[in-house]
Amino acid sequence: MQPRSNTGDGKPPKKYYSARKKFCAFCKDKITLIDYKNHKNLENFISETGRIFPARVSGTCAYHQKQLSKAIKRARQMALIRFTEEKKRIT
Amino acid sequence: MSSRYEIGFIITPEVSEEEVKKIIESITATITKAKGVIENLDEWGRKKLAFPIQKNLEGYYVFVQAEVDGAIIATLERRLKQMEKVLRFITLRLDDKLKKSHKLTKRWAKIDKIRKKTADSRGEEKESDDFLDNEEESDATEK
Repeated sequence: MQPRSNTGDGKPPKKYYSARKKFCAFCKDKITLIDYKNHKNLENFISETGRIFPARVSGTCAYHQKQLSKAIKRARQMALIRFTEEKKRIT
Repeated sequence: MSSRYEIGFIITPEVSEEEVKKIIESITATITKAKGVIENLDEWGRKKLAFPIQKNLEGYYVFVQAEVDGAIIATLERRLKQMEKVLRFITLRLDDKLKKSHKLTKRWAKIDKIRKKTADSRGEEKESDDFLDNEEESDATEK
């Protein structure tokens, strides 16, 4: 038996295009401490239904993600950001 | 030991302006009595809440930043809890993470220096915009 190879029948292997590299939005603007009061900025990091995006989706670094999740939770406590919202059905 | 604190609270919308002033004064008075210094007091005024609290759709937002003794904050929290006209409140210590943020700013300064150096040296050799753009992106992820 012939060993299996990527090239298979002599064709070159399939090329996969890598996605554009993500970067931390807070490192870019050089923000050291995230404030829970500017809720308009925080809303970029929550989904339609109000869930916090994971770091692998939003691309924020570990230090800022930790602060961000805390800031969002504080903003929720002060009714600046919604806890949840039902998904609107498209009929 | 005094440190910087931030106190935020929401007052019910039914309350008149005079009563709002009374509530704010009672809080600022307790801080100044304990030899605290009020740095900043910003009133957002009436604002729509993200969700109804006790069937109220609006709220009067007030934020106070002050340098006070820690023991006073405990008494302030107790007082805010007893107030029926205050819907929600939050107290934070502000200089919690300053040490680590100082480290970050140092690192960013270092990265900026290196980026400048590389940009200068490469700019002399060849001036291709695509190449420089790629370099910036890779630097951003390293942080």
